Amino acid sequence: MVYIIPAIFLFVFIFGAIKKVKLYSEFSAGIQEAVKFTFSLLPCLAAIFMMCELFEVSGFSDIITKALSPVFSALGIPAELTKLVLIKPFSGSGSLAYLNKIIQQYGADSYISRCACVCFGSSETVFYISAVYFASTSVKNLAKPIVIVLISTLISTVFACLLCRIM
Amino acid sequence: MNAIFAAIFIISSVFLLFVSPDKFLPSLLSGAESAAKMSLTLFCIYAVWMGLSRIAEKSGLSAGAARALKPLSKKLFKTDNPAAQENIAMNLSCNLLGIGGAATPFAVKAIAQLEKEKNEFAQKLLFIINATSIQILPTTVIALRAGANSAAAYDIFLPSLICTCISTVTGVLLYLVFSKIKRGAGN
Repeated sequence: MVYIIPAIFLFVFIFGAIKKVKLYSEFSAGIQEAVKFTFSLLPCLAAIFMMCELFEVSGFSDIITKALSPVFSALGIPAELTKLVLIKPFSGSGSLAYLNKIIQQYGADSYISRCACVCFGSSETVFYISAVYFASTSVKNLAKPIVIVLISTLISTVFACLLCRIM
Repeated sequence: MNAIFAAIFIISSVFLLFVSPDKFLPSLLSGAESAAKMSLTLFCIYAVWMGLSRIAEKSGLSAGAARALKPLSKKLFKTDNPAAQENIAMNLSCNLLGIGGAATPFAVKAIAQLEKEKNEFAQKLLFIINATSIQILPTTVIALRAGANSAAAYDIFLPSLICTCISTVTGVLLYLVFSKIKRGAGN
């Protein structure tokens, strides 16, 4: 697995050299695009991160976690994972920190940790992605796609908890 | 997004006023600070991958990838725009290879291309595919488990693969069904 990324780079660079692409100029031109792109993301990022911070610090997230715990247990999702499942759509770094805590607390090979890892690895930061993707478009009414993504993620979470029991 | 942002922001602020009002400004500032740090991290990822992708683009490699995936992008995304197809192809390839950070710039470019033809259907579809995660190898999680002395850090590979497929397939199917219903109602 460690060879995949170097192999991709070598392949693209050698292929580019054969096709007489000016590697240095084009590589820097690509990075120039990255600079612009990162700056265009910053406003969305800042707003979303402030929202997430408030959500977390105010204790609002804890209240929702407690309220939803019974629902999640009924679906077979352990109570210890409720918070992780809820935070993941909002914050990648926040949920990563929480995942780390779960692994430290329960041990890397426990059912809870394995379950948490599968849930984390098979879901995305939905709100962040929606903000970034549609920042420069006129698309409105994102509620439906977001709800669809959240439902799909919940279904796969239920399966994750089930699969970790048997695999 | 505007509604969600407003709701969460206002409710959380009101909560915070009751619990500890002195934490209000520090929270906002620390949120902005994490955004600044995050954008630095993101820049590093994008610099590496967008540099590489520019070479792939100039050498005709991305066009090749787009050609290979053309039947799929034409049928599923209903677009004939070659630039959009190229970016969609690169986005999907990066996702499958597990380099999610590299996938984002391609998706944003593809969405900008689709905007030109007002193809809102394809824009939302691409969002759903990306937001339901289609990673083959969850590298972050495996690294984390290996770091915590797991006896078999890779043993979550199969369940992860199954789950990521389940969520993406469910998402795409739900979306297709809903757009069919909507179109049916419109006729």
